[in-house]
Amino acid sequence: MAEIFIDNNRYEFEGPTKVLQFILDQGLELPFFCYHPSLSIPANCRQCYVEAGQPVMNRETGKYEVDEEGNRVIRFFPKLMTACSLDATDGMVIKTHVTSELVRRGQKDVLEFILINHPLDCPICDQAGECPLQIQTYKYGPEGSRFEHKKVHKPKRIQLGPRVVLDAERCINCTRCVRFTEEVSKSNQLTIVQRGDKNYPVTAPGTEFDDPYSINTVDICPVGALTSSDFRFKARVWEMSSTPSLDITNGKGCSVDVWTRDNLVMRITPRHNPHINDYWMPDAGREAYKIYNENRISRPDLNIDGDKVKSSWNNALLTIAENLDTVKPSEILVLGSGYGSVEDNYVLGKFFSVLGQEQAHFVPNILAGTGDNFLISDDQAPNTNGCRFLGFNELKPDSINKEITSGKYKTIIVLQEDIVGRNLITTQDLSNVFMVYLGTNNNDTSRFANVTIPVTTAIEHVGSYVNVDGRVQRSMPAKETVYTDRRINLEMSMGRLDHFGTRFDNWVSDKNKVDCIPAWEFFVRLAHEMNKEFQYNDVREIISEISLTNKHFSGVSYERMDNELGIDLVNKQKEELNLA
Amino acid sequence: MSSIDWKSYTPTLIPNIKDYHKIDVYEKHGGYGALKKILKDPSAHTPESVTNAVKDSGLRGRGGAGFNTGLKWSFMPKPDGGPRYIAANGDESEPGTFKDRVIFEYNPHTFIEGSIIAAYAMSVSTVYVYIRGEYRSWIRMMEKAVSDAYEKGYLGKNILGSTFSVDMIVHSGAGAYICGEESSLMESLEGKRGYPRVKPPFPAQKGLWGRPTTINNIESLANVPLIMNKGSEWFKNIGASTHPGPLLYGISGHVNRPGVYEYPTGMLISELINDVALGVRGGKKVKAVIPGGSSTPPLRGDSLEGVRMDSDSLREAGSMLGTAGMCILDEDTDMVDFLWRVSHFYHHESCGQCTPCREGTGWLEKTLLKIKNGEGTTRDLDLLLDICGQMEGRTICALADAAAWPVRYTINRFRDEFEARVKNTVYALA
Amino acid sequence: MEKFEFTKEELAVIDEIIAKYPNPQPAVMPVLWMAQDKFGHVEPDVQKLVANTLGLPESHVHGVATFYTQYYKERKGKYVLDVCTSFSCQACGAYDTLHYIEDKLGIKAGDTTEDGMFSIQSVECLGACGYAPMMQITNDIYVNHLTKEKIDTVIEDLKKDKLPEFEPIPLVQNREIAQEK
Repeated sequence: MAEIFIDNNRYEFEGPTKVLQFILDQGLELPFFCYHPSLSIPANCRQCYVEAGQPVMNRETGKYEVDEEGNRVIRFFPKLMTACSLDATDGMVIKTHVTSELVRRGQKDVLEFILINHPLDCPICDQAGECPLQIQTYKYGPEGSRFEHKKVHKPKRIQLGPRVVLDAERCINCTRCVRFTEEVSKSNQLTIVQRGDKNYPVTAPGTEFDDPYSINTVDICPVGALTSSDFRFKARVWEMSSTPSLDITNGKGCSVDVWTRDNLVMRITPRHNPHINDYWMPDAGREAYKIYNENRISRPDLNIDGDKVKSSWNNALLTIAENLDTVKPSEILVLGSGYGSVEDNYVLGKFFSVLGQEQAHFVPNILAGTGDNFLISDDQAPNTNGCRFLGFNELKPDSINKEITSGKYKTIIVLQEDIVGRNLITTQDLSNVFMVYLGTNNNDTSRFANVTIPVTTAIEHVGSYVNVDGRVQRSMPAKETVYTDRRINLEMSMGRLDHFGTRFDNWVSDKNKVDCIPAWEFFVRLAHEMNKEFQYNDVREIISEISLTNKHFSGVSYERMDNELGIDLVNKQKEELNLA
Repeated sequence: MSSIDWKSYTPTLIPNIKDYHKIDVYEKHGGYGALKKILKDPSAHTPESVTNAVKDSGLRGRGGAGFNTGLKWSFMPKPDGGPRYIAANGDESEPGTFKDRVIFEYNPHTFIEGSIIAAYAMSVSTVYVYIRGEYRSWIRMMEKAVSDAYEKGYLGKNILGSTFSVDMIVHSGAGAYICGEESSLMESLEGKRGYPRVKPPFPAQKGLWGRPTTINNIESLANVPLIMNKGSEWFKNIGASTHPGPLLYGISGHVNRPGVYEYPTGMLISELINDVALGVRGGKKVKAVIPGGSSTPPLRGDSLEGVRMDSDSLREAGSMLGTAGMCILDEDTDMVDFLWRVSHFYHHESCGQCTPCREGTGWLEKTLLKIKNGEGTTRDLDLLLDICGQMEGRTICALADAAAWPVRYTINRFRDEFEARVKNTVYALA
Repeated sequence: MEKFEFTKEELAVIDEIIAKYPNPQPAVMPVLWMAQDKFGHVEPDVQKLVANTLGLPESHVHGVATFYTQYYKERKGKYVLDVCTSFSCQACGAYDTLHYIEDKLGIKAGDTTEDGMFSIQSVECLGACGYAPMMQITNDIYVNHLTKEKIDTVIEDLKKDKLPEFEPIPLVQNREIAQEK
């Protein structure tokens, strides 16, 4: 095993690795701007300087030369080296800012240079609080500036595309954004223009930065040069709480962080997951924050003679229980959905099998040709494979209409599937059945349903979702409902505002909490209403029951999903087969 | 060191022959003879032996860095059947340098022949000749010369009936000093913005289009036929022993007869000024000499005694040979003005990739402009030196060093003049 | 709106250029030159034409065009007078030369005369240090050893669309060489 000495500590490494990445992998710190583990290495910011040396090998003996005290003789490179582009070699000696005054000087000098033309507008900059330049300036930068001239002026507030705004003066020319469009999204929409200190990134004149992955450049921009037109000026980073979750807008299920403030989702950013999305996510997935915030169903609705009327939970439960008592199990069509979690779908199926209807169905929402072989899938739902693994019967989009108009069914239970909005069936054809809709947002189906039950979204409950590649991840509650409280629920994250704000502050309110419950909890309550033996106290009971009874999910637990960044259910099966 | 008998020296790179740029005249005087000799008997002139001959001649690159040309060739890996390239560097953008254009104009075929021999020595299939875009007239001359060489069968398939083939393609730049830096030149040849590449990998490992590539200056390649014809020993004995060979001196500035002269390396600067360039205009004193392009530290006029135009002597004197593009400044020259203009150049030409260069070059220029305008303070002088220290050796390529050195050494060597300016007093002539 | 297109013959030339390199990308600089020679500039629409002709991203061509100073990203005068003011020329009075031309044409460096005939630019070293002061006309012919009289003649000639001829500089070391170009 090759060895490397970093600030007098010995580490072992294998295979080719760059010194900066190795340092970061050890959990050590070295400031940098332009380096990104998933992009090429231009070594242009010059911030990750280290002193590097190699032991002197005696050519004849093939051994390292030693000095009088028996220490290896180290020949240092005459210049400071950028760790990002430096290959680690056996016996290499690295001095970072921890042990080298020269490196500290080098880092400070680069920061002084970067700041001479960088506007000092942190108080009005969106990046403030999560800005590598701001953080590193505090930690490694000069005390003041000796620059007494006019800064270079460049274009500001340039709408590069529908979702990204450029402030070229803040740009430090790390070229991460350009490399992203060249190497990752491959849209090639950005370039650096001009030369020297007039450099900045922009699109070709007359073209738009409408790359479906454009906002990733905002994430990787190490300063506030690229900002999201949508999120700009909406919230300060330190006011928000971030919660790990997943993208529910398509089947890839990118790992994300959901950022909330006062129980509104302010933005969604990708979370590093080498198994799914690396550091990236499609722009469309970030729009999902609107699904969580807007147009939500709050409190159950009853349809009385064509009018939707808000109802109490008891009244809604009673109405449904009465209907279910009047129909035979075979007259109930149970429709699960790839939009619901594994747990909710499972409990839905289980509940009705207790009633006597053994088969649940679902209609996948796959739009051929909309995917891109990267992070956007044809599959529009986050949990289509979850329904498959639960053994739900897969209906073709055009067959559900036939099922219902056949007259076989008198009652239809729909979990989170907008069957009317998706044009799977017309309201006309639904007029002869009693429909219960469990949903998160108002839509054509909820407006027509006889009873509409508000259920929690992915970020208001704990739920598992199996993506198109068969990887199961789970969501965590990020947004409180009327019935949850982040001070009690230990899984909910607490930002500064959540910690220190009180209900009596004017920046904290209850108005953003939705009156809804997890679908599984609804069926437990419905069972009570109907005097059936059917009980789950906690979502963990459900997943552990699934893992014990369903071979696809054997061995699955939330702890494993958290620790392993999701679990590959398809290859796990293969592995077990191999073992057998 | 014995004085060089330069008065009896006969130019060989730009010989005293009428119409030597024409291929038939060149041939008549033995041109392409070295190439013929090699290709006629390849077993006696293997690529290795050609490389060794160049290495042994002591020819050092004429583009500024002064690295042994043959040694550079020997870094090329063994041929693997894939394409390999030579990029001939005719970017010639270092201010004060105007010598390669003389080769294009007066002796293009020596360069072409040298390139073909180099291609043979390194098993190269294509030579790209990168010429700065401003040299449009000279690009036309080179294109003519290359097409003549094709016509005569010195370029193309199966040269002179041998199994060796090589193509030569003239590529025009479009106005970027940085493209004279070898890796930036390759980026530019690949049709990109001229950003220098991070090294390693070096061009011999991964050059143009990821393939082994050697970049040589035009003048360096033009010397190759001489070495082949007259032998390494002959070459080694011309001029300075550690930096031998004929050298094109480009003399500009306040002299009576500026121009490009070919003499052995190691000429005394004083001789070049007084005897070759016929002295300073108006009989004035020399205030400063920039020996090899704007990035080489200026020497004070009163420190020129015994200083020779070779790398050792100039290093001792506190400068570098660079491109041997000398600029002589007389006693009336305003060194603040001069330095501001040099800084303006580097500010304008920094590619903007590395932070210290992108920001530092602008800061240097702005501070020097402030001093030039009489608004500077002594603090600004120290600041300038600090900025230089923050730039030197901190970037991917040497442009930051090239920008910092003239500032550092001009201020150090002419500090009195700068101090007089920051105090806003009239500078009395020394 | 002005339309920018290459003719069939020009496209054939471009194919020849592309054939000189392992892929079409290196042709971007020669083709930008061709376009500039033809249209007098490489404004965004011309850059787009080059990108489409070579099958390259527009952004790439834009990045290249803006990196190199000789490409005119905006329209210039019919004749662009590039006066070298780098330090060798500066030492030989290049700024006086520049100011003389500025005064003569009534514009500043960087500007274009109202009749669209002339633009003046103060440029970096053109590699004619021994023949200072000097200028280049529209990226082509060098005019060396500028004097007021010579400038007057050149400008009068240019007004009549008469371009100066290439001036071979005799090698002073070998005075007897007279070039026949």
